Amino acid sequence: MRDVNTTALVVCTTLFVAVSALGFVASRWRRAESLDHLDEWGLGGRNFGSWITWFLLGGDLYTAYTFVAVPALVFGAGAIGFFAVPYTIVMYPMVLLLAMRLWSVSHAHGYVTPADFVRGRFGSPTLALAVAITGIVAIMPYIALQLVGIEAVLRTMGVGGHWPIIVAFTILAAYTYQSGLRAPALIAFVKDSLIYIVVLVAVIYIPIKLGGFDEIFGAADEKFDKSPQPTDGVLLANAQVLGYSTLAFGSAAALFLFRIRSRRCSPRAAATRSSATWQRCRRTRWCSRCSPCWDTWRSRPA
Amino acid sequence: MRAWYLLLIIPLIGVLIPTFYNTLEPELAGIPFFYWYQMLWIPLSVGITVLVYIKTREQDVDDA
Repeated sequence: MRDVNTTALVVCTTLFVAVSALGFVASRWRRAESLDHLDEWGLGGRNFGSWITWFLLGGDLYTAYTFVAVPALVFGAGAIGFFAVPYTIVMYPMVLLLAMRLWSVSHAHGYVTPADFVRGRFGSPTLALAVAITGIVAIMPYIALQLVGIEAVLRTMGVGGHWPIIVAFTILAAYTYQSGLRAPALIAFVKDSLIYIVVLVAVIYIPIKLGGFDEIFGAADEKFDKSPQPTDGVLLANAQVLGYSTLAFGSAAALFLFRIRSRRCSPRAAATRSSATWQRCRRTRWCSRCSPCWDTWRSRPA
Repeated sequence: MRAWYLLLIIPLIGVLIPTFYNTLEPELAGIPFFYWYQMLWIPLSVGITVLVYIKTREQDVDDA
């Protein structure tokens, strides 16, 4: 170990110990009778309200990718790395369209994972299996990315080698196994607070230290001017414009692995049945209250 | 009422066509246009998303 940054290491270790403790304690938070149910373990008993979900999503989305990879790209290449901003801007409107229906249908039918949803929705266990496997495989490089990011952070503090990562992730796995979604949800409160500190420091303290934003952008411009690379700069090169928007849009679309195509209860379909549920569905769009309609549709005579 | 969802296209148009905003000027507090323009879309997009959510939720309630 060379040049161990003691202050950073002490802060990091303290936070890690505190967060791990929180992770284990989380199994007792809003305790259920038993964690044996997948709803309890995987969804926190389905009773996280808007606030907890808001913190959880914040803690989920803003990761080593946000704090190491994207800033590194902006530092090294400039404008192109900023695609992460339009990416997160377009993501929320897109998710609003899809997730509301996904949520209400999953809530009404007790689905836990996207695979459950697909099996219930399309009646195909094979398709559900494919979705489940795709989800697991797709998350692998993402986890690898987090590992590389955390290793880079540890290296900066002067801690090398693979063993700290192995220790950290064993502890992480242990409390996740014990507490399920309650662990990241509770930890998210700490993590989000830390994120806000980072943001405030980055927006207020660092520019003051460096002499203002014009100073920072001026220095960046000088650095990019000197580099032989044609693709770096404070602005996008012409050839990068299309790549920038597709990166943003593609990242947003990929965040939720599949799209939901809603089969709404159309008046035409309702005309073939005159039951009360169909009549009701004619007026309401597909929502949790409309689930009887969906059930009727699924059990319709072939 | 479904037309409210069309509003969600506005932030997409706002940020997904970089040709519109790939310039240095006008600067804001030393920040080039490219950067502050996109940051500006964060609160705008939040506002639009909240508006659509409220309007479409009211519609569900009306129908019930």
